[in-house]
Amino acid sequence: MDQVAHRRRQYAALAWLLLVAGAGLAAPYLPLPFAPAEPDLLAVGVSPAQGAGAGHWLGTDPLGRDVLAGLLFGARTLVLVTVPAALLAALLGAVLGSLAGYGRRLAAPAPAWLLGAGLGWWGLALPRPALGLAAAAGAGAWALGQWLRHRSGPVWALSLDALIQGAGALVGTVPRLVLVAAVATGGPLSLTGLGLLLVLTNWPGPARLVRAETLRVRALPFVEAARALGLPAACILRRHVLPLALRPLRADLPLRLAAFVGLESTLSFLGLGLPPDTASWGRLLDAARLDPAAWWTAAPPMLALLLTTGALLILSKK
Amino acid sequence: MGLHFLGRRLLNTLVALWGLGSLVFLLGRHDPAGGPEQQLLSDGTESGIGTESRDPAAMAAARQAVRHRLGLDQPLFYLSQQAPAAANGARWRWNGTANQYHHWLARLLRGELGHSLRTGQPVAGQLGAALCCTLPLTGTALALALGAALWLGQGLAGPRRWWQGPVRALLLALQSAPLFVLALGLLLLLANPQALNWFPGYGLADEELAGWNRLGELARHLALPVVSLVLAALPDLALQLEAALRHELGTDYAAAARAKGLGEAQLIRHHALPNALLPTLTQVTGLVPALLAGALVVEVVYALPGMGRLLAAAAALRDYPVVLGGVLLTGAARLGALLLADVLYHRADPRIRWTR
Repeated sequence: MDQVAHRRRQYAALAWLLLVAGAGLAAPYLPLPFAPAEPDLLAVGVSPAQGAGAGHWLGTDPLGRDVLAGLLFGARTLVLVTVPAALLAALLGAVLGSLAGYGRRLAAPAPAWLLGAGLGWWGLALPRPALGLAAAAGAGAWALGQWLRHRSGPVWALSLDALIQGAGALVGTVPRLVLVAAVATGGPLSLTGLGLLLVLTNWPGPARLVRAETLRVRALPFVEAARALGLPAACILRRHVLPLALRPLRADLPLRLAAFVGLESTLSFLGLGLPPDTASWGRLLDAARLDPAAWWTAAPPMLALLLTTGALLILSKK
Repeated sequence: MGLHFLGRRLLNTLVALWGLGSLVFLLGRHDPAGGPEQQLLSDGTESGIGTESRDPAAMAAARQAVRHRLGLDQPLFYLSQQAPAAANGARWRWNGTANQYHHWLARLLRGELGHSLRTGQPVAGQLGAALCCTLPLTGTALALALGAALWLGQGLAGPRRWWQGPVRALLLALQSAPLFVLALGLLLLLANPQALNWFPGYGLADEELAGWNRLGELARHLALPVVSLVLAALPDLALQLEAALRHELGTDYAAAARAKGLGEAQLIRHHALPNALLPTLTQVTGLVPALLAGALVVEVVYALPGMGRLLAAAAALRDYPVVLGGVLLTGAARLGALLLADVLYHRADPRIRWTR
């Protein structure tokens, strides 16, 4: 019985999320009488009852902007920023987490490292590109000498695990809100910029999950059997380990989305991040502070936010 | 625990702080066109230099002068991209040590956080003054949230009561509300002349009041901010503690304790709780910086002076040194909390050993 109720709640949550996504994506094509960012100075802060005749079906905020248009275009901003960012963060986390959990070490002979570094220097046209070419040539000579004398030189290894975990810890030292606010200091970000910033600050979460699961799975007997059969490491990782190791991401993705929704609206509420004329639920709530009596500006975005994050939390539970 | 281990952790901490500071320093200046000098010139802070004249040449000269005084005319990093490739085919130029990043790092190593671009005051002083307002707020919230979580977690994991269902539902609902929605909702409901006007909506107590009056006023002003912080931190803590307690109550030693006739309340308090607290310790180390970030929201909503509002205002006005100082301070708090958690872990469970 409980299971049935839970299933029903999940369908309701999914329906609400689809509604938000659909409304957001369709917002520019809907026949709305007003644009979201243009103040209607003839109707400043009118309630739904007064404004319905003039086309403001949900009233206007204290700056004269239509609440309905703000809601719909806010949903659009939310969908366009958070969904790609969450997917990309999960993808990046999966790649880095599985590498950290399975690859462990990136080992190559010393001349190969030197050759790569030299060619990279030259390719990026860093100051004095000839220096890079010289280093690459020296590395080539070194390798040739080793090969002629049938001797193997030193092997330099890079622990991917330590590298990725260190980078994750680095990003995780400061709360995401503070980090995003600090980076947004340089000026307003575009939708893509904000999305990339969210990815950059959020990949360690999924990476940690995937790494832990990879460590667990790679010790299971069937992985050992695959190794005994002589399959290459990349093949084992892709065909046998990853399908199992990615499972925690399914529960993590809705949670991550909920966190992104909260972060985006909080940033807009604080006036950081996106440019001021971008519609957002946080921006509407910010305007609601100007007039405490205007309940119609505060209630709809608040309700929409609560329903959206609540629906995502429900979806994340099995 | 070996000193060797602690030293290693401290070194890692310092490296992490340096990396984080550099990251924020370089990423935070992604838009070099509209620098902070624009803000300074337009809001009249930088008076005297041609603000009266609308002559574009004079304005440009004033801008340049301010940029030079603040050191913003120097290149950002050791390397900078140059548009036309130089004679030897290099697309990047080596700037030497005359760059903003080098100066910032050198000053940081001498222990100086620099001066605010807007007010010219030392950043360390500003941060200290802001912390004096933020620490009571977040400290109270932290203590209250921990106490409430301990109490609620024990109650929820204990024998069945009628209130467990509704409380659990309420906690789940609270979990889905972002902090700023909670704070704004409380503000609009309880500090609103149009609804219930029980609490003051902004600021701290008057300076003129003294003694108990002032303390009471302060409590009235801080009540709503503290409640919003507690409500935001409570669900995770309480639900996690409940789950950990339930796990512990299903183990063999709990069954043994029940078999010798121990009551459920005593079993929870004396046997299950110490074991269930370990994950909560980790959560608390994450909570300290989270409360600082929470202060960012709450202080803006309730117009309290403090760390969060300082950071938000500095971020909006592109006051780089203040933002960087705040980020470094927050990071240091977080890493300090992590170190403390390691020590506490060892105290709570002596079986935990560190290798390496």
